[in-house]
Amino acid sequence: MEDGVGSEEDYYDSDRESLDGLENEESDPQWVPAKGPSCKVITKESLLAAQREDLRRVMDLLSLREHHARTLLIHYRWDVEKVFAVLVEKGKARLFAEAGVSVVENHDADSPVLSSTETCDICMEDLPSSEVTKMDCGHCFCNSCWTEHFIVKINEGQSKRIRCMAYKCFAICDEGIIRTLVSKRHPDLAEKFDRFLLESYIEDNKMVKWCPSTPHCGSAIRVENDEFCEVECSCGFQFCFSCLSEAHSPCSCLMWELWIKKCRDESETVNWITVHTKPCPKCHKPVEKNGGCNLVSCICGQAFCWLCGGATGRDHTWSHITGHSCGRYKEDREKKAERAKRDLYRYMHYHNRYKAHTDSFEQESRLRETIREKVSNLEERDSRLRDFSWVTNGLYRLFRSRRALSYSYPFAFYMFGDDLFKDEMTNEERELKQHLFEDQQQQLEANVEKLSKFIEEPFDQYDEDKIMEIRMQVINLCVITDTLCKKMYECIENDLLGSLQFGIHNIAPYQSKGIERATELTVFWSATANDTGKFHKPDEQTGGTTESDRPSGSGSSDDNGCSSRKRAREGSFGGSLFDLNLPADVIDRN
Amino acid sequence: MVDFARVQKELQECNRDIEVSGISVNPKSDNLTQLIGTIPGPLGTPYEGGTFTIDIVLPDGYPFEPPRMQFATKVWHPNISSQSGAICLDILKDQWSPALTLKTALLSIQALLSAPEPDDPQDAVVAQQYLRDYQTFVGTARYWTETFAKTSSLGAEEKVQKLVEMGFPESLVRSTLEVVGGDENMALEKLCSG
Repeated sequence: MEDGVGSEEDYYDSDRESLDGLENEESDPQWVPAKGPSCKVITKESLLAAQREDLRRVMDLLSLREHHARTLLIHYRWDVEKVFAVLVEKGKARLFAEAGVSVVENHDADSPVLSSTETCDICMEDLPSSEVTKMDCGHCFCNSCWTEHFIVKINEGQSKRIRCMAYKCFAICDEGIIRTLVSKRHPDLAEKFDRFLLESYIEDNKMVKWCPSTPHCGSAIRVENDEFCEVECSCGFQFCFSCLSEAHSPCSCLMWELWIKKCRDESETVNWITVHTKPCPKCHKPVEKNGGCNLVSCICGQAFCWLCGGATGRDHTWSHITGHSCGRYKEDREKKAERAKRDLYRYMHYHNRYKAHTDSFEQESRLRETIREKVSNLEERDSRLRDFSWVTNGLYRLFRSRRALSYSYPFAFYMFGDDLFKDEMTNEERELKQHLFEDQQQQLEANVEKLSKFIEEPFDQYDEDKIMEIRMQVINLCVITDTLCKKMYECIENDLLGSLQFGIHNIAPYQSKGIERATELTVFWSATANDTGKFHKPDEQTGGTTESDRPSGSGSSDDNGCSSRKRAREGSFGGSLFDLNLPADVIDRN
Repeated sequence: MVDFARVQKELQECNRDIEVSGISVNPKSDNLTQLIGTIPGPLGTPYEGGTFTIDIVLPDGYPFEPPRMQFATKVWHPNISSQSGAICLDILKDQWSPALTLKTALLSIQALLSAPEPDDPQDAVVAQQYLRDYQTFVGTARYWTETFAKTSSLGAEEKVQKLVEMGFPESLVRSTLEVVGGDENMALEKLCSG
């Protein structure tokens, strides 16, 4: 529900933006999203803070200590809403019991002063009270046994949920006790344990994922509402949040996965070879029959029967090979060949267009530099034209629509092919829908090419009137292509995917302004941040971030508008924290 | 490293009330990481009257990791492999707790003999028979008990007799036979060397 409304708002916003573009007020070339930021970059500096943000909410509501809140959140996969929902539905006791949290009300009062020695049920030794530890669940064992247990569990990769040693006790052990005991014997392992707890926020959280860039930039991305979206990390890498491959909207993740595999395997080529050739029974090279009868001879000299592939002698007539009979029914094979050929042509059609647009997209990326030159040339000229934001706007619009266009081909390949939706549409329906979609696609294609042509013109050499004309054209085409993109997405969502029974094909919605760039999660640390974890954050954290990250209002066009999209990250707080340049398991492997 | 002090204590503890429980654990060799446990078949089950031996191997992490147990005696039971003797029991896997002991584990296995869980089978053939044709299952299980879990114990009396006649004290003969799992020749060897 919410998502639907959200995306609608997106559309309205982007409408307004396009109009702004027309009036040349939109001058920010970085395409900061119109809506409040819904994606955050979590770096090694802000991971702890991001985690604490959620911990704090749970701690405040349930008046819990931090390690209990963490246990709770790890169990519920960092879904705070879920924790609250379970609380309302099943009550506090069940909520805690299911997650293995045992809260002791008067923790200090129950320390045993009864006897000076205790028997540990694990090692069966009598030990002084000072060498035993009692967990929140009430079970008491000696420190050495606890330590051994923790070490075994951490090495098993169970750091996030180490249970009490007592039989049938499902309580999760106090992380503070684990840390203290383990660090006495294995400081490295204690560090690893801490790291697992910290990274649980990323690993066990469906709203947070590591940026898939290689080499890994060390950041993770958190989305707010919709996991079917495309984001840009602060390192500049753009990806589909849902499947972590490159941004591929309007293809669904499944379509994209199939497409990539198809392109990589060149499976159609392989298909063609299997249908049209036969391996020679002697040298095993594929042999194509180029006419004549069914006795084929390979360049190695071996003769064989085309129908069954078996080696034969050379004596034959048109219908019969001497001493050989396989009696294979021939027509079936011809049909199969026909089909493979058709499938290959179909694939080639879509692949060629997909490839053509991807290639132009790459060439146009180089345009960025040329455009900068042209703009600075124009700025040096003494003319009444002062504002050239339409050039950069046009360029970004071109990138954006080119992208949508190129990925719309693999989409169409699967949408109207036999692989995915064969049983969901009748042939007539399919034909109708295909016409509808192709109509949209062709309109978009024509206008994208027009836009590309205007932007590539050497307008810095032209006189002012001509420039004004090009300007009008570019601005106009920007609005048209944007609208067409939107229409194409609407067509996909409403007419094509929307009418299907199975909703497994979710596509990232069209963003007029391009893929949303995740903003940094800013936190202000106190001096003792790392030790006590106390920190101050602005009351309205998200609000604060938005304001500082967004360029103020309608500033004039910067000439560093096309500056590198990678922003330098400050590493000043990272000293005593873990090196998050790699996820823990990668480091472990090393 | 296995906590041998604890294993020693467990063995003492277990063999102290052997009369009551009928469960015994003895080292297979000098090395305490390989042991042999025996449990009597529970009364009122097709396993009644049989004595079942179980091979026990202690992993390095014992008692923080579960002991590895496997039937050495062939047994017809949905949760025990009729081929290998492998046991499907949660406390021998993820539900193990260091607070459990070899004796409690053997008691759990004994309990498993009286209460099979055919919905979570180790041996699908046995489990299917148990669910579809219970009478045949009981017959087969009883036959296996007679054949594999009793002959050795019936023969055991004869073996004891034989060894006692050779001049060894009866109590020593019995414990030695138990240690070597009822093998007469091994017992003789052991008696002669020790």
